[in-house]
Amino acid sequence: MDIASARQSASGASIRISGLEKRFGAVSAVDGVDIDIAAGEFVALLGPSGSGKTTILMSVAGFEFPTSGTIHVDSEDLTYVPSNRRNLGMVFQNYTLFPHMSILDNVAFPLKMRGLRTAERHARAEAALATVRLAGYGYRRPNELSGGQQQRVALARAIVYQPRVLLMDEPLSALDKNLREDMQLEIKRLHAELGITVIFVTHDQSEALTMADRIAVLRDGKIQQIGPARQLYERPANLFTAGFIGEMNFVDVAVQSVGDDISVALPWGETWRLPATAAVEPVAAGEAAVLAVRPERLQFGAGSSGQVIAVTLSDIVYAGAALLLIGRLPDGTEMRARIPGASQLSSLAPGDVASFAIPPEAMLLYRGERQ
Amino acid sequence: MKPPTDRGSLALAAYVYAVLAFIIVPLVIVIPMSFSQNDYLTFPPSGFTLKWYSEYFDSRQWRAATWLSVQVALLTALFASVIGTAATYAMIRGRSRLVTAFQILLIGPIIVPHIALAVGLYLFFQTIGLSGTIPGFVLAHTVLTLPFVVFTMAAALGKVDANLEAAAMSCGATRFQAFRLVTLPLVLPNLVSSALFAFIISFDEPVVSFFLSGVRQKTLPRRMFEDIEQNLTPVIPAIATLLIVLSILILLGAQVLRSRSVTRIASQ
Repeated sequence: MDIASARQSASGASIRISGLEKRFGAVSAVDGVDIDIAAGEFVALLGPSGSGKTTILMSVAGFEFPTSGTIHVDSEDLTYVPSNRRNLGMVFQNYTLFPHMSILDNVAFPLKMRGLRTAERHARAEAALATVRLAGYGYRRPNELSGGQQQRVALARAIVYQPRVLLMDEPLSALDKNLREDMQLEIKRLHAELGITVIFVTHDQSEALTMADRIAVLRDGKIQQIGPARQLYERPANLFTAGFIGEMNFVDVAVQSVGDDISVALPWGETWRLPATAAVEPVAAGEAAVLAVRPERLQFGAGSSGQVIAVTLSDIVYAGAALLLIGRLPDGTEMRARIPGASQLSSLAPGDVASFAIPPEAMLLYRGERQ
Repeated sequence: MKPPTDRGSLALAAYVYAVLAFIIVPLVIVIPMSFSQNDYLTFPPSGFTLKWYSEYFDSRQWRAATWLSVQVALLTALFASVIGTAATYAMIRGRSRLVTAFQILLIGPIIVPHIALAVGLYLFFQTIGLSGTIPGFVLAHTVLTLPFVVFTMAAALGKVDANLEAAAMSCGATRFQAFRLVTLPLVLPNLVSSALFAFIISFDEPVVSFFLSGVRQKTLPRRMFEDIEQNLTPVIPAIATLLIVLSILILLGAQVLRSRSVTRIASQ
């Protein structure tokens, strides 16, 4: 709040969100969310629209007050503190630069609110602009800058008073693809440079996977899974995450027995034995389950080890680094395979029956039926 | 090859010019009449004199009526623009369920016949002693002009991204600071333009003023009606001409302000 605290070191704060709940009338936008974020960590909140990710961010920012639950930054309880007294940096989706002020005054605005003198304000705003590589742009107006530049100015304004936490609400979704990738790197660089804690809301999974230390996947106001990108991708905790992150093949199976290994009946009559580790969720004999496999884990040809499937191909799509093969299993379930080193497969044509092997470690087993 | 003549667009052009003519003709008649040497309002005017203008400026009664109208219109412009802007802000940013009811109440004075409003205000103000007083005129005119402020400001405030204020608050501004430093500068041209409209509407408002005017406290429009009834001299077109000039200046000013604000907001 005062100048002294604005000058404190730029390292990040830890954030603890516990039991967060937000109801709008009968609708639960956020339904019992717990997230512990370490100081300096970069966490992405990922989910479809209406999943509650923005409401969580707005509760941390102080624009929404939760129905119940608490939000602590370091050890300070901020749950019901007004947004202007939280000292958190915030970047919005649509830049939100003040159109009637110069770039320099925009960036200096938080310092003005903290009572700094004009000279120091401008010096620090210039420095922040240099951090986002916009030195010398201070005397322009927001409408004289491109979208990417405006978002960098917004970033400079959010970090100029060295907040301990930076909140970002889909900051890149208004930018076109190339600019978005540049900005992803820019934000990663800033995060590494400043050591600030970042909460980043996005509906773009590749953005979340490439940028964040950990990703919280949300649906219907609940956390489905929280973990590093690799964990989310390689061992999704439930069917929703498995289908939401990346591409996934799903086959309905019936569990026959559970022991040292798990035997399941496939829809076309075969019975497979899967390693016990395949079961992500506990399954019981007699229950329905779903077998999940990533398309790039399928191996072409029957020679490799693992279970072999016969796929009647319907589409063969050349996708540069890999060949995408789309076809159907004997029972009609769709199956996709991404096979690198495509040249050897050039003789394949739609209607061919191709054999693929699924390595045991690539198989994941979930309770329930595919959606 | 000549492009084909479009009869439809010719007809439309003729129609538009006819409408413009009907609007402008009264002005074209009134202005020459204010310079007429005849002692009665007659058409066509004859000769040229400025005596009706000097009669207006020299008359203590006319000056008193004008001064009262100026005071009332200034205060009305001030109150209507401040209250109207605050009310519009509440309607646009607020989450209350009463917003619709509030909106209808604010716009009501446009729909209710002024004569009904005037009779009601007359009876009420008589009882509480506000009739014929400046506060009475200002109250009544503020109610009448609020809808115009609300319409103008709703259009302007609706274009200002609510996230701009959120951004200001995340920068450490209080809610009021966010309004004063971010939203207000963006809609200031519209605010001034709506105040100008409130001024001009109050300044030549006849119906309510007719009822509220006392024996001594008469607004300019009320005084003009009296003069029409009793004398009907060309002083009336002279004052009308002055009012036309004033209105045109104010409308031009409002238009300039409006175009400025549009470019400002559009550039965000």
